[in-house]
Amino acid sequence: MGDRSPSRTVSRRSLLKLSTGILGIGSLLAACTSAPATPTAAPQAPPKLAATPAAAQAPAPTSAPAAKPTAAGAAPAPTTAAAPTTAATTAAKPGFMRPVEGPPKRGGTLRIAGGTVTTPHFDLHQGATAHPLTQLYNNLVRKDIPSGFKQLIPDLAERWEVSSDGKAYTFFLRGGVKWHDGTPFTADDVVATFERFINPPAGTTITVRSQVDMLQKVEKLEPNTVRMTLSRPASYFLEVLTTTAMIIYPKKTLDENAGDLRKVIAPGTGAFMFKDHKSGEKWTFVKNPNYWDPELPYLDAIEMLHTPQLTDRGSAVLTGQADLTWNASVDTWREGQNRKNEITVALIPNPGAHTVHMNNTKKPLDDKRVRRAISLAISRQNIYTAYKDQEPIFLGRWMNVASPHSQSLEDIQKLPGYRADKTQDLAEAKKLMADAGHADGFGPLELVSATAPWAAEIMAPAFAEELKRNLNITTKIRLIERGLLIEDYKNGTFDLLVETQFFSPVMDYTPAWNLYFKSGASQNWSRYSDPDFDKLLDDLNNTVDPAKLDEAFKKGMDKLDQDAPFFVTGFTAHSPMWRNNVKGLSLDKRVHVEWGRNETAWLDT
Amino acid sequence: MQTYLLRRALASVPTLFGVTVLIFIAMRVIPGDPIALITSESGMNYALTDEEITAVRHSLGLDRPYHEQYLSWMGDVLSGELGRSFWRQEPIRDQILRRAPITAEIAIMAIVISWIIGLPVGILSAVRRNAWPDYVSRVFVIFFVAVPAFWLGLLLVLAEVLIFNWRASLTIIYLWEDPWRNLQITIGPAVVLGFGVAALTARMTRSATLEILHEDYVRTARAKGLREKLVIIRHVLRNALLPVVTISGLALGGLLGGSVAVERAFGVPGLGALLVMGFGERDWMMIQNLVLLYGVVFTMINLLIDLTYAFLDPRIAYG
Repeated sequence: MGDRSPSRTVSRRSLLKLSTGILGIGSLLAACTSAPATPTAAPQAPPKLAATPAAAQAPAPTSAPAAKPTAAGAAPAPTTAAAPTTAATTAAKPGFMRPVEGPPKRGGTLRIAGGTVTTPHFDLHQGATAHPLTQLYNNLVRKDIPSGFKQLIPDLAERWEVSSDGKAYTFFLRGGVKWHDGTPFTADDVVATFERFINPPAGTTITVRSQVDMLQKVEKLEPNTVRMTLSRPASYFLEVLTTTAMIIYPKKTLDENAGDLRKVIAPGTGAFMFKDHKSGEKWTFVKNPNYWDPELPYLDAIEMLHTPQLTDRGSAVLTGQADLTWNASVDTWREGQNRKNEITVALIPNPGAHTVHMNNTKKPLDDKRVRRAISLAISRQNIYTAYKDQEPIFLGRWMNVASPHSQSLEDIQKLPGYRADKTQDLAEAKKLMADAGHADGFGPLELVSATAPWAAEIMAPAFAEELKRNLNITTKIRLIERGLLIEDYKNGTFDLLVETQFFSPVMDYTPAWNLYFKSGASQNWSRYSDPDFDKLLDDLNNTVDPAKLDEAFKKGMDKLDQDAPFFVTGFTAHSPMWRNNVKGLSLDKRVHVEWGRNETAWLDT
Repeated sequence: MQTYLLRRALASVPTLFGVTVLIFIAMRVIPGDPIALITSESGMNYALTDEEITAVRHSLGLDRPYHEQYLSWMGDVLSGELGRSFWRQEPIRDQILRRAPITAEIAIMAIVISWIIGLPVGILSAVRRNAWPDYVSRVFVIFFVAVPAFWLGLLLVLAEVLIFNWRASLTIIYLWEDPWRNLQITIGPAVVLGFGVAALTARMTRSATLEILHEDYVRTARAKGLREKLVIIRHVLRNALLPVVTISGLALGGLLGGSVAVERAFGVPGLGALLVMGFGERDWMMIQNLVLLYGVVFTMINLLIDLTYAFLDPRIAYG
């Protein structure tokens, strides 16, 4: 893995441009007979955010059908309710989701083109690909599909109670639920599932464990009642339980396999049952006729087609080879946008972010004035422009704007470092550089980037160019295979590192902040360490009051802006597109991405 | 002949042994721990500790000495099962058998297309040397040699989607299940790959034909009054085929392994796509067996080429 200079990269870009030009001419010639719809501009507008997931808060299971969600973009400001405190709730039909569009029709096979249909193994708790496997299972709690994930609703837990100190959760399980093999679902299954997180079986790696590190004890109180005891109150605990990997496994299968399900597809309680799996080709799931919600599912089957290329996913939907894709390429998405009679498109905020990690232990990046200068001087807007044909990216201030604790996009756009007009920011950045003794810049820094074109051809050179132009910081770009970046992360063998390593599985960023910013934390790749910030994280970890959480997050964001552990370029959005006959998934209303379950989907054939 | 075949078969053993050793070592010396990589890529929010990596490696038997791992693999190969995928424990033989028919079909179709186009173009170019058919043919040859097949494939897919609002199935459909839909999957890759090989075939045919046109036996054939067409077909073409067979054979070997880029361009789930998946998942067993398969295919193709020489040229005899 030799070093490669930026000029080498620029040369490859030129080549790419030339190829693209030729391709463009070719496609123009090819297209001259039919004049396809003119692609519109890139999806640069931010995703229209509906209300934030009221979710994790008042566990107020709505009776089905769920309240009709507001139109995307017409959403109220982030909700203030944030964490469950003492509420005990019940509902007439808890967790029974009904699609907004209707009346639903029954039958048909939904074909989904996706890039993560392959999975290295089958154990969701150990990092298997959730996209296909989650169809088989239920969580205890989940987010409501019809409302676009704005509400938390019961799943296998019919209702729950939270102790006044926020440390004990009692879940009352749904009765009459059966596993796909016919055995009844009981509290023992829930205990066995969560016991895995507390005491992972030998040889397993429970990757979701870090999200529930506060879970201390899980016990069966009655055949259908389970209590979980936490070491501390956690504002996000219920929301974490809704994520696609937090599914419940049958105790019987866990016992039969010594707690390791990597080699077996365990039966679930979900709306769909496993039928067939062809590695790297497709999954087939069929309707569970005994699903605990007798109304669901509407579909007879789901086929998930392995389509690793974004363009293939989009073109599969355009041509009817697939009905839906969770994330299409920008060009096919635009084409879909132009075919309103056949196709619908949406942009959904993604919890992932583009980042440039700065090694806080290496000079001169150990000086927070230098890191602050970099954060101020880099024009995020310029990078978005460079990246616009690749993927939409949006501003976010240390969390996705879809989070209930985020400032609005409009407010963020006015802040130093985030605003488009860099005049004041550049002046401040240069002053900081001078104060740090680097008035004339410095370099070269080693900028490590994955070989993937989006990183090597766009992000890394764009960031390097901004550094050079605005602060006279020179860089040497080192390209390595993306999968090997983990070695550089772990060993700290980088100055700057372009990646997408700032991911939160939930919209409450408490766990993510703990993972990425806490001194010595497992994902603190920048090696950031600030006792004051650690104290703030402790406060966050022990706060469930929504107002106090907001306040702590605000304080944290202010601090991170001043003492940036790394550079958050922006948060991405996924670009789903689907044929107009696909109904019931409320994709245009979703406040965040989830390649998850589809029990409310139906086909208008 | 039998002795020759036996000798060649025995000679291929060290070659294949070398292939297995090289790929086995290569998979273990390339940087990055596959277990950590798999987890980091799929999870992106969890990094295994060294202790966890050690435990998982033990559970998968990867902490055994290399010679044990190698012998275990060889045992799987000799039993015909080829081992099982790294984590999912799927038999690799089944995965290869599922995809091989599609890749083989594309490869054979591509070679047939290359002959249909390459041979006439090459002969015409030679016979009409320095006339307009030759110029046109040389432009054709240079274009298709220079342009990568995957790029043509992308253009073709683009045209299918934008003009005809159509694309082939993304899943495997065998010839014996539904010939028409199978053809839809295979024809695109076969055409773009076939044109590339056709260009090479035409180039080789042209130079071989030019050389043979000046041979004494061609002049003799003409002198005895044979029509030019018969001279070309009976005396020139057959002799010009030797280098063409070599080129086609090597191309067939490459294509049978699966063209990664072209399969990816068309979204065809063939052996090339399987190799990409194997690398993506750091599935050592999958990669090792696919590379071994390429080794076997090339060895067999080489043998087949040598046998074809004897058929085409009676002066060549084995045994």
